[in-house]
Amino acid sequence: MAKTMEELMELIDKMPDEKAKAGEFILPELMAIAIAHEVLNDDVVFAGTGLPMVGIMAANMLNAPNAVLIYESGICDGKTMHVPMSVSDQRAANMCSTLGGLVDTFGYYLQQGFVTLGFLGGAAIDKYGGVNVTSIGDYYAPVHRFTGSGGNSDIGTMAKRTAFIILQEKRRFLERNDYTTTPGWWCWDFKTREWKPKKEVWKGTPYADCGPCGVVTNMGVYRFDEKGIIYLETCHPGVTVEKIKENCGFDLNVSKVKGETPIPTYKELFVLREFVDPELIFLPAKTEYPAAIKSIIG
Amino acid sequence: MARIRGKAKKAEIMTLEEAVKKYMHNGIQIAFSGFTGFNRNPMAFAWEVVRQKFKDMHVIDRHGSCCTWLLNTVGAIKIYETDWMGWGEMAGKLDINMERIYKAGKMILEDYSHGSMAMRFLAGAIGAPFIPYYAPLGSDLYNPDYDALGKAGLRNGKNPRIAKKKFIQIEEPFFGDGEVVLLPAARPELAVIHVSQVGDKGTARWRGVGTIDKEIAFACDKVVITAEEIVPEAEMRKDPEANQIPFFTVDAIVEVPWGAFPSGVPFYYDYDAPFMREMDKASRNVEDLKKWLDEWVFGPPNWEEFIVKLGAKKLLSLKADSTTGYSTKMMRGKNPAPRMKMPLSVARSGY
Repeated sequence: MAKTMEELMELIDKMPDEKAKAGEFILPELMAIAIAHEVLNDDVVFAGTGLPMVGIMAANMLNAPNAVLIYESGICDGKTMHVPMSVSDQRAANMCSTLGGLVDTFGYYLQQGFVTLGFLGGAAIDKYGGVNVTSIGDYYAPVHRFTGSGGNSDIGTMAKRTAFIILQEKRRFLERNDYTTTPGWWCWDFKTREWKPKKEVWKGTPYADCGPCGVVTNMGVYRFDEKGIIYLETCHPGVTVEKIKENCGFDLNVSKVKGETPIPTYKELFVLREFVDPELIFLPAKTEYPAAIKSIIG
Repeated sequence: MARIRGKAKKAEIMTLEEAVKKYMHNGIQIAFSGFTGFNRNPMAFAWEVVRQKFKDMHVIDRHGSCCTWLLNTVGAIKIYETDWMGWGEMAGKLDINMERIYKAGKMILEDYSHGSMAMRFLAGAIGAPFIPYYAPLGSDLYNPDYDALGKAGLRNGKNPRIAKKKFIQIEEPFFGDGEVVLLPAARPELAVIHVSQVGDKGTARWRGVGTIDKEIAFACDKVVITAEEIVPEAEMRKDPEANQIPFFTVDAIVEVPWGAFPSGVPFYYDYDAPFMREMDKASRNVEDLKKWLDEWVFGPPNWEEFIVKLGAKKLLSLKADSTTGYSTKMMRGKNPAPRMKMPLSVARSGY
């Protein structure tokens, strides 16, 4: 007979903390856990819809149980039981502290400086962490028109640090974006028409030191150096540095690679599958549990 | 703009058809309630607008929704001033018709960001002409070359609802806090807001997220409230801290149960992601879209029949739990929702 959620909950701490083996997990699970690892227990997190939301929910259930989750439609510290499909999903508002609106989240929380970590998606990224979610080609006559900023540009510039999740392709990892929706560590100063460090453009504002801290793709994890330039930190299992360089539109710094992206542990996989997205909305399919988990479930 | 009034508004109860006929006109500047395609979209109103064939609308809003998706299927939107042109998040992100119309040069898109649109409506709501906001300096959103309404020659001061500038960047003059952007207030003509309950005098309430609906109610000249139910005003006064919209902002009240479908109304019914995916699918092909419109928009004689057409089984699955405010009975993914008593993070670590 199927186990109740309470019975499954009791099994969590019996799950081994050792890393799963190749073939025992799928890529979206690895990425969700990589996102979760970005979240600290004392973070106030502002995340976008999709895999970022799955990742921060996982963090809330694993490594950062006290992290505060802000959802832009007006939710402060939602304690979700079922994965939301939108940042306005009532599921995200479950047992929250206060419920307001966009003026609360973007004004009172974000512009006021409470948000420590943003987690966002993007269509393309430049080598300084600037993100494009608006258009490819000429702005007024685009080859592709995307949805536009949403909260991306607000969160990405005013949260203390922001991590992005982006599909790794040559046309998405660029020296310069066609359109910069969310400026990274370098951006335009439109008053002087100069390309400058964000710290200079935002000098004197409280947000000069806020900006991108990491990028998670389907191939690796990236950080930014003291000049605000992206570098490769880890490669996902089975992905070579060469393959990543082939899928990057600029000369990527790979001199600081620390090895492989941490593989999810059995415990993390169990929580992800049973508690974060058991409905299989974001995680495409449930592969069979490895023996290490099966033997404990019984 | 602050509108100095000589007397209090008196809200009028009317039918959906009457409200659309009375408050809509071609070229109207309008804002809708809710959040993306998922939460409290006044869909029944937009549906009736399409049926009554109003055109050339200037939608000014925080993002797209089921309403804008539907209006775009018939090319009813001429100017779209917003920050997120998608509509269905995980059920159909980009509005395919919007992209098609835009690429054909038949629509003006003006980009802002979520926070900046919220601030623009806040300014509009409190009668301020503009508001300072920091984000995002250095973004192409504030590239002086990228001003779609300006490029179209519409910032010439002739339309009092279109600001003469998209933004102004200034040095913060009071504290020396760097550069800051001044954003013009949003001041549309009509707000259409879907709520769960409205008193028969106009006091309105929702549960769940507020998005910017209170700001919209105050920023717009006229307000139409569509509601799941009209209740005696006295009921609304028993728990006034749960109300968000005071009656004197409201012009018209329309009772339209399931009026936000396929978006959800917390504690009433959930969103219908499969239905939204079907909408998205239909929009990818002109023939399919025509079929969809004939079946779902021009087919049913009225909104009630639209809902009847969905079938009791569908409505039962969408009906919200009285405790969570959403449905744990509907299938959203490949598996049913688990029976949870407590969020895992709270059960294990408290708050």
